[in-house]
Amino acid sequence: MDSLIPFTTSGSLVDCVDRKMLVVLRDGRKLQGVLRSYDQFANLVLEDTVERIYHQDVFAETWRGLFLIRGENVVLLGEIDLDQEDEIPLRQVDWSVLEPYHKQEVAAKKQRDELKAQVLYDRHGFCKEGGEGDGY
Amino acid sequence: MDSVASGIQEPFDLIRLSLSERVFVKLRGDRELTGVLHAYDGHMNLILSDVEETIMIVDQPEGAVNGPSTVNIAKRKMDMLFVRGDGVILVSRKYIKWGAALSMSY
Amino acid sequence: MLIFSVFKTLTDQQVTVELKNDLSITGTLKSVDQFLNIRLDSIKVLDEARHPHMMAVKNCFIRGSVVRYVQLPAEHVDTQLLEDATRREAAAQQKR
Repeated sequence: MDSLIPFTTSGSLVDCVDRKMLVVLRDGRKLQGVLRSYDQFANLVLEDTVERIYHQDVFAETWRGLFLIRGENVVLLGEIDLDQEDEIPLRQVDWSVLEPYHKQEVAAKKQRDELKAQVLYDRHGFCKEGGEGDGY
Repeated sequence: MDSVASGIQEPFDLIRLSLSERVFVKLRGDRELTGVLHAYDGHMNLILSDVEETIMIVDQPEGAVNGPSTVNIAKRKMDMLFVRGDGVILVSRKYIKWGAALSMSY
Repeated sequence: MLIFSVFKTLTDQQVTVELKNDLSITGTLKSVDQFLNIRLDSIKVLDEARHPHMMAVKNCFIRGSVVRYVQLPAEHVDTQLLEDATRREAAAQQKR
């Protein structure tokens, strides 16, 4: 009988343990850290985590430490290719410099999305989810 | 043929009758699809072929935030598509045009 | 189980996963699980410039719940078989 291990959540994630991973969360946050543990719900333990923000051709990061992330908030886990990482054409700046731009971008997007949801609800029969909803 | 299989007893039976027919699917957010239905399950996951997707785009007016927005559409075609059930609002055989009295049938 | 089985037959094929946050990722389907979590290898992100955080990522695990669509290779999907299997699964569900 063929091994069905690759077709389980455990099978998919086992070779990611102790590797530096990118985790994208439903609220849009991008975290990078070493994956130490996971379970069938994709709950994760991420060690030595940094949070990164991006704006145009610039990025910044800040130390966050040890995370236990609830699986329902996880969008994706990416295996970071350490060689590729050195070749990224983005410039790093201080978190305190970039943070206001990032916050502004996030607020503007939220406003656009709310207006869009309202228009589509009023005129085209789509639902208004409010906040993240199920499909954020 | 099993008589139970051909009767309609619950909502999913209606979908069962639409297998290999073109259906209209309204999704949460800003999308609508039409496609030929080949598979579905209890979560309303769907597999459709020959799909045309309609994406609603809301153009916000420059400056005045409270000015009238226009809704444009963008269309996309895909040969074979899996649609996750939790995004599905409805599945229908008829095209439903909101706000208009007419409905076109396929 | 039906959709899970379909995905299992499509391993090693090129698929495009579109997420609910509008990110589209093309890659080779390496594995899938009962929750329809997806493992993709050799990924290429559509509109890379909008998603700079994905630049150094070659393989990824995508949680099933955040998927909106998966574009499948039509030539590897037997629609007649799918329809028959769906009818069988629907009949089995009814008998419970």
